[in-house]
Amino acid sequence: MKTQAAILWETNTPWSVEEIELDEPKTGEVLVEMVASGMCHSDEHLTTGDLPFALPIIGGHEGAGIVKQVGPGVSWLSPGDHVVFGFIPSCGRCASCSSGHQNLCDLGALMGIGLQITDGTSRHHAKGQDVGLMCLLGTFAKHTVVNEASCIKIDNDIPLDRACLLGCGVVTGWGSSVYAAEVRPGETVCVVGVGGIGANAIQGARLAGAKHIVAIDPVEFKREKAMEFGATHTYASMAEAMPALQELSWGTMANKVIMTMGVGSGAVLIEALALTAKRGRVVVTNIHPAMEMTANVSLLDLTLMEKQVVGSLFGSGNPRADIPKLIGLYREGQLDLDGLVTKTYTLDQINDGYDDMRNGKNIRGVLSYV
Amino acid sequence: MKTRAAVLWGQNQEWVIEDIELDPPKAGEVLVKTSAAGMCHSDEHMITGDMSIDNATADMVGMPHMFPLIGGHEGSGVVVEVGPGVTSLKPGDHISVSFVPSCGRCRYCSTGKQNLCDLGGLAFQQGMITDGTVRHHCKGEDIGCMAKLGTFSEYMLLAESSCIKVDDDYNMQAVALVSCGVATGWGSAANRAQVQAGDTVVVVGIGGIGMNAVQGAKMSGAKRVIAIDPIEFKREKAMEFGATHTFASMEDAMASVTEMTWGQMADKVIMTPGVLYGEMMQLGMSLCGKGGTIVVTAIAPMSQTTSSVNLFELAMWNKEIKGTIFGSLNPRKDIPNLLSMYRAGTLKLDELITRTYTLDQINEGYQDMRDGKNIRGVIVFD
Repeated sequence: MKTQAAILWETNTPWSVEEIELDEPKTGEVLVEMVASGMCHSDEHLTTGDLPFALPIIGGHEGAGIVKQVGPGVSWLSPGDHVVFGFIPSCGRCASCSSGHQNLCDLGALMGIGLQITDGTSRHHAKGQDVGLMCLLGTFAKHTVVNEASCIKIDNDIPLDRACLLGCGVVTGWGSSVYAAEVRPGETVCVVGVGGIGANAIQGARLAGAKHIVAIDPVEFKREKAMEFGATHTYASMAEAMPALQELSWGTMANKVIMTMGVGSGAVLIEALALTAKRGRVVVTNIHPAMEMTANVSLLDLTLMEKQVVGSLFGSGNPRADIPKLIGLYREGQLDLDGLVTKTYTLDQINDGYDDMRNGKNIRGVLSYV
Repeated sequence: MKTRAAVLWGQNQEWVIEDIELDPPKAGEVLVKTSAAGMCHSDEHMITGDMSIDNATADMVGMPHMFPLIGGHEGSGVVVEVGPGVTSLKPGDHISVSFVPSCGRCRYCSTGKQNLCDLGGLAFQQGMITDGTVRHHCKGEDIGCMAKLGTFSEYMLLAESSCIKVDDDYNMQAVALVSCGVATGWGSAANRAQVQAGDTVVVVGIGGIGMNAVQGAKMSGAKRVIAIDPIEFKREKAMEFGATHTFASMEDAMASVTEMTWGQMADKVIMTPGVLYGEMMQLGMSLCGKGGTIVVTAIAPMSQTTSSVNLFELAMWNKEIKGTIFGSLNPRKDIPNLLSMYRAGTLKLDELITRTYTLDQINEGYQDMRDGKNIRGVIVFD
């Protein structure tokens, strides 16, 4: 069939919205009519080359839609099912999936290649050429074909232009606080960078019972939004937060510092560690440039103060458990998804949307296909 | 096809070797030629009624019948044929069964608690995990399988979700033991009790489960592993598996544990007797120190609703009682992981097998178990 998709042909060029040829789903695959896709910073990392995935590629990894057709051997999805995509597949059988670490499913190794999981070929073609998929998904398209391992079935009553955010940003941020940082009641938490991830790290810290939630972002609009999501204090920079946090915590500093900047920087890790309490933990959630090999850390500080630096992917959550779980929190009014969406765009407006993101105008922009 | 299997027609009866008619595998199912089956106490619990309900009672309370039943839930085999849609197995693959299936998709499978997979809920009902219909027939009657497995059979018709692929260089008797008893016992100590280096650990009851709790505690660095069993042969074997002290009863152990811990008692107590009666909990609790953990692994009679637990003591001494199934492990990760320890020489499996039997000798094997002669008896198929 023919459909429309936003393709990146070369780094540092805009997204090109064009008609593509989409094959039928093969074994273990499903055809999904997309309803909405979040515009995550990680797709921007494709255009800058920070994420060195094979090109050309259909962008987008935060999507939700409706199953239209299933290939042979698909056992738990049927046409009409509403699905959110996990940006990491979960096979349910590897050692990681089998021990509560679906975010590290062995199938994730195929993400950089961007071809179908089952047979390593492509169902997506443009200009007579095979096109890869961001995170094996390609949600910047009106239709896509993906493996069932990437699909999480959800209840049909949840608006898909909200549910799509659960495929990446919301669980990544929320889980960074709840799972990776293990925020406990009464703790002081710093969230550095208030975008689509950081806003949800704030929500996670709030639900986990943090006493103080200090949100740090240079953009005033984001600091204002941070207060709506549950931050108790905001500052424009880590340097500005330092004396305030010292006073706020009576010199004990933050138990947890969560790094959710647009692009991570090894140079500023030392500032984050300076904000961190004895036995405190810095969670590195944001994407750093792939070729960055050094970070500023005082290892003596790490030893003497027993500080920890912990990486986190998908908020250390499990797509199949946590996407339904957070939908439950949304339904109960304990998780704000509506407030995350600053503006919606059509697929043709995708480059406007990314301009807005670069200019700090959005918490999250969402592409809507209906 | 036809196969032969040990069938239990009701409570308090012997196993009967019957001819079974087996349907071909449907979607998501596999046919497996059995290599070895462990003779676990849980199958005996079906006979005694600790873990079963007779058909008349089932009728009265509107529950499905448990009998007749092909026994066995600890086993290994080789895949012969796969049904449509089976992706993780092919003919020739060596497998361990898993008495708890793991779908890999439910909330529990998705959070590292495969031992609680939602598919395990209907373990005692007839019918396949896949679609609820029956593939096993005996004397013209539909027949169930213990834990949806029925390893006391020359061939098994299984759901893919009950099969764990293992490397094909392992001794299949060892693979069979890992599928239930070893994982359950080892995991009770190393995982559920979270034994730490330096702990004092008491294991109550040294059979196929308890012996592996001893191994798990030792491997986790316990300072003392105190094994309690009335049978001298088992106490001797426990020392070979890593116990540092043995006693014939909890009463016998009490004074010595008090003395050797300078009154602090054990950090972890693991309850693995053949049958766990509620009145045994008082002594188990007393062997456990302040802030300690009592892990309940053994099968207690399912109708037993009282237990001698002093709740004042539980609260004031901050003790905890934790249940466990399958040692709270994940079959798909931990069965291969335990076998890799066996390969590396840190986990004893061959030494667990006291005697092997043919399928026709099954009643003799269970009598040996009742008489306390076996750590584990294994049925070997050719």
